[in-house]
This record gives sequence, C-alpha cells and structure tokens, in this order.
Amino acid sequence: MSDVTLRDVRKSFGAVEIIKGVDLDIKSGEFVVFVGPSGCGKSTLLRMIAGLETITAGDLAIGGDRMNEVDPSQRGIAMVFQSYALYPHMTVRENMGFALRFAGLPKAEIRKQVDEAARILELEPLMDRKPKALSGGQRQRVAIGRAIVRHPKVFLFDEPLSNLDAELRVHMRIEIAKLHRDLGATIIYVTHDQVEAMTLADKIVVLRSGVVEQVGAPLELYDNPANLFVAGFIGSPKMNFLKGVVEGGSAGRADIRLPDFGGAVVPVALKGELPAAGSPVTLGIRPSQFTETGDAALPVTVDMLEHLGSETLIYARSTASDLVTIASQSRSNIAMGDTMIARFPSSGALLFSADGKRIY
Amino acid sequence: MSAISTRPKRPRFDVNGWLFVGPALALIAIFMVFPILHSLWMSFQSGLGMRLSFAGLKNIYRLFNDPLFLMALTNTFIFFLVQVPVMLTLALITAALLNNPDIKFRGVLRTAIFLPCVTSLVAYTVLFKSMFVANGLVNTVLINLGIVNVGIPWMTDPFWCRVMIIIAITWRWTGYNMIFYLAAMQNIDRSVYEAARIDGVPTWARFVSLTVPMLKPVILFTTVTSTIGTLQLFDEVSTITGGGSAGGAAGPGNSALTLSLYIYNLTFKFAPNLGYAATVSYVIVLLVAILSFLQFYAARERKA
Ligand SMILES: Nc1ncnc2c1ncn2[C@@H]1O[C@H](COP(=O)(O)OP(=O)(O)OP(=O)(O)O)[C@@H](O)[C@H]1O
Ligand SMILES: [Mg+2]
Repeated sequence: MSDVTLRDVRKSFGAVEIIKGVDLDIKSGEFVVFVGPSGCGKSTLLRMIAGLETITAGDLAIGGDRMNEVDPSQRGIAMVFQSYALYPHMTVRENMGFALRFAGLPKAEIRKQVDEAARILELEPLMDRKPKALSGGQRQRVAIGRAIVRHPKVFLFDEPLSNLDAELRVHMRIEIAKLHRDLGATIIYVTHDQVEAMTLADKIVVLRSGVVEQVGAPLELYDNPANLFVAGFIGSPKMNFLKGVVEGGSAGRADIRLPDFGGAVVPVALKGELPAAGSPVTLGIRPSQFTETGDAALPVTVDMLEHLGSETLIYARSTASDLVTIASQSRSNIAMGDTMIARFPSSGALLFSADGKRIY
Repeated sequence: MSAISTRPKRPRFDVNGWLFVGPALALIAIFMVFPILHSLWMSFQSGLGMRLSFAGLKNIYRLFNDPLFLMALTNTFIFFLVQVPVMLTLALITAALLNNPDIKFRGVLRTAIFLPCVTSLVAYTVLFKSMFVANGLVNTVLINLGIVNVGIPWMTDPFWCRVMIIIAITWRWTGYNMIFYLAAMQNIDRSVYEAARIDGVPTWARFVSLTVPMLKPVILFTTVTSTIGTLQLFDEVSTITGGGSAGGAAGPGNSALTLSLYIYNLTFKFAPNLGYAATVSYVIVLLVAILSFLQFYAARERKA
C-alpha cells in the first residue's frame, strides 16, 4: 500500500506561513499533479512529503504510517529534481547504482537493477558517459533511472521537464505517462504548466498561496471549477471573465446585465440563491464555447487574430476595452478592426460571486 | 568555418597595443625575468661576495657533499610530507562543518579560523615562542590536564621542535585553505546532496564520495600552492626557532633548518656565497616543478 495522506499540514519559515493547512488523500497508484502559480508552495509541499523540509504542524502518512519524523531515506520515496541533481563525477551507471551500495545489495544485484532501469529508459548506449556528455533529456532520464532502481512506493517529481525545450517536453511527458502505466507506482508531480497537469494527472491539486483551491480530475476541474482562480488557471487559452450585474431573475435563473457590452442581458442558470439585484458578479465563458448559434450575443471589435490552423483565436474588445478571446473553428474572413457579434449559449456560462466563489 | 577566415587580419605589430602593455612588460622583464635568468647564471659561479668566477657544475657536486644542505632538504621534505596533508585534511573537514547551515555563529567561526593568515607574522611568532617555551602556556596546560608529566621539550628536542613548527604553520594556513573549500562547496548544487539523502547515502559517504570528488580542482589547487608554500618555508623557522638571528641555529641540531633558511644563511649569515645560494634556490625550483607535475598528473581527468 502506498497511499499518501496529509492532514492539516502546515509549514512556516520563521514567522511566515507558506503552507496553510493542506488536507489531501492520494490513493495507491494515483498520478497526482500539484499546479499553481510560482511561489504558491508546490515545491515546499513536495519537499515536506520527501522529508527535505520539516513539517511545522499536521500529519503526513505514507502507506498508513506516520512519516513526520522519519528520515527521507526510510519513507519509501524517490525524487527527481528540476536540476536533475546528477553526481557530476560519476558515469550514468555509477549514478544509478551509487545509492544501492548503501542498501547492502550485492554487486551483481545492483548491476541487474541498473541494467533493468537502463532498458526501460533506453539508456543502454550511454551507460559509461558522464552527465556533462549527455543532453538535457538524457540527463532527465538518468535522474528518473536513479529513482526507478530504488523501487520506491512513491515517486516525487519537481518540475522535471521545465529545463527542456518544447518538443522534448512533449516527448518526455509521454515517457513519464508510460512509466506510470508500466510501474503502477504512486506519482506526485509538481508543475506550473497546466497542459502537463491536464495530460498526465489522474488528479490535479490546484494550490494558491499555500492553500488548496480545488482537487479533482482534470476534466472535472475544467468543467466545474470551484472558483474564479481555478477557472482562470485551468484551460488554455484562458477563460474569459466578464463583469456583470445581477438584473433580476427567478428561481433557478439569473439575468445578468453586462454593462461593458452595451448592456446585453444574459440569462444564466443558477444553482443557489438568487443574489440581490444590483450585486456585482463575474460571468465566465471559455473561448471554445462561442458558437454561431448561441443565444447570448456580445457586440465586439476584433483586435488581433491568431491563425493556428485547426482553429483561429480572435482577440476582441468590448466598448469598455474588456478583452475577450474567442476560439473559432471556422476560417471565417474576419479581419482586424471588424465589428462582430460573438454568440455563446447562455446555459454554458459560469457565474461567480464578487468574492470569487462559483454560484453556478 | 568561413566566419573565421573572413575575419579581418590584425597586423602583427600594433603600436597602440604594445604601448598599453609596454610598461608592465618592462617591469616584469627588469624585476622578474632578468633576476631569474641572472640567478641561473650565478648558480654556475662560485666565490665570496661579488667576486664570482665561473665554476661549472662545481656547485652541484658541492650540494651532495654538504651535510647542512642535506639536512635542510630532509627537513623541508618532512615538513612538506607531514604538514600539507594534515593541514588540507583539517581545512576540508572544517569547511564541511562550517558549510552546514544548522551550525550557530557560522560567520564568526569562519572569520576566526581565517584570521591567523592575516595576522602580523612578528606578533604571532612572538606569541608562539612564549607559548611553547619550557614553562610556557602549552606545557603548563598539558601538565595541569595530566596529559604529560614533564613539560615537552619543544625548543630543545629535534622531534618536538619540528612538531611545533608544523603546529604553527598549520594554525596559520588552515583557515586560508578552508576559505577555498567553502567557496567551492557553496557552488555545489544543493539538490545533489538532497538526492543522495533521499536515496539513503550516509553522511560520511556524501562527504567522501560526493563532496571530495566534486572539489577535486580546488583540492589540486590548494595542494600545489601549499606545496610551494611549504617548500619555501622560512618565516616560522627563522623567527620561532631563532634560525634567522645571527649565530642562532635553526632549532636543536638544525632540526628546523629549511632550504629557504639555508639560502638566507648562505647569502647573509655565513661568508656570503651568492653562487652556491643560487644553486640551492634552483633546487627548490626543480622540486616545485616536479611535485606540481606529479600532482597534476595524479589528479588528471581519466578518460571514461
Ligand atoms: N527556505 C526557505 N526560507 C524562507 N522562505 C522560503 C524557503 N523556501 C521557500 N520559501 C518561500 O516559500 C514560498 C513557496 O516556495 P516554493 O518553492 O514552494 O514555490 P513553488 O510553488 O515551488 O514556486 P515555483 O513554481 O516558482 O517553483 C515562496 O514564497 C518562497 O519564497
Ligand atoms: Mg518550485
């Protein structure tokens, strides 16, 4: 069993609280990704699980055993660092086998383990090279190999791909996904790249300033963000946020007036209570939700166009210069400076209260 | 390739360039190159004071039959073989300890350990002399702690005299070398150690198998500079053991006579024989060259 459980975990550096009470359940074999903006505490939380940072308060358990005070080497984890952290004076083979010498394994056994990892990662032709004679992607594979040979219960990755170029990043992303499938180990993976998070994760943990904003499967977070922050963070291009005012409505429906768009009124389905008329709200629409048949209409001016081939991104402005991104599947003959009516189905729009909470 | 060949050719002689480096070159030529060459010439001459005459290889024959030279050579080697490894090991260990962020007063300790090499030579030798005399501080402490029954004859026994000199130079230069190690250690990526820690590599192995190999270039550098320093050892033996004063021997039975001190004595204390002194100087040059070469050879990057 390699469940990882965090209960009200906190971390302070001096007087500054960086991790402000995190509760998390990670099931055995799950691929969990921590995302969040820079400085939100992703690395700190991962390093606390690894045992490289002490836990100020709360409980950490791996496989059901409390780990707060356990030495990093006894936690059954292995970690892959952003900087690879290879031993520069050792060959690839020595890098992967070094730690096993201290686990009391016989030489032949170490060799077998290292060869097995090299085979999985296709490192065989590089075994006698030193790290400085390897490319970034190869170094990263050696770092992963060094983790594999220890057969950890939990793999920890801290932004392992951020030093690689875009193409290699995609390639390594697939490799890591395969590795997870083949090894079946629990993986905790830190990134600030939300595409990496969406593609790799079974479960995404969105962090902001040391607080968990939402936990869920990638599509769940995409379709049902709990608040403005998650809605804006997950999905690319970013969700459009339009300032609105509650005009009125009835049970299960709110009419939202958009003052920046010539006072267009959009009826939005509502789950909870109808906010008082006149209270400010935010309407969220993903760029891909715009369609020509939508019932809600926004008059906009086209500012910029990006032709990506499969789709066209239209950056448009309202009268009050609110920027709206529209992803259009058709190659219409819109030009910069044109005025147009952007339509979307009002049933797909999300509604957020003034404090950022989702109210539908 | 083509980028290189199309680069405009510089004239070999550029007046402006030579004007800039000229003064420096002139000074180097007068105060370094000329003395080096002249002393080489002098080493083949013999005579008293300035009345030198060409002597061919006579000075070199004399070396092998000169008991004082052989004594100085032996002493210098003893100091080099014992002191350099002891000091560098000590420096490496203190650097590793002071690199640990959990240690309190790190800054103060670093400064305290570094300070000896910038203190005044005279002040420190006077202090060491007074500490190591028969009834000085060191013996008093050792006797009171019950470590020895009778005071150690630092100043009168050849063995202990050498020990004292080694303690003195080690005290003075350990901190200096430690600073190099500390600087290099702070350049090592911390995550290398974190990775080793997670992988269960014990502390001693992190030091022996990670820190030391990663510091190899700096260790080589300090070994070479310390070797040169010890082969030229003069200050301490001259002042603490009285070897530099008129009529004083360098320690009991010249047990602390070093090559540098012997050169000084040949030139300024005995009947001045500049030619022979120059020959002994070149022995040091030769030793430094051979030892440095051996050290670089031992530390070379082996092909994988
Ligand atoms: N040793 C430390 N002492 C004091 N503050 C620290 C320490 N380590 C991290 N912090 C602070 O904790 C916060 C979170 O840092 P952390 O490295 O976890 O961020 P992150 O989410 O990994 O960011 P990034 O995406 O840039 O890597 C930052 O504000 C950082 O300044
Ligand atoms: Mg980080």
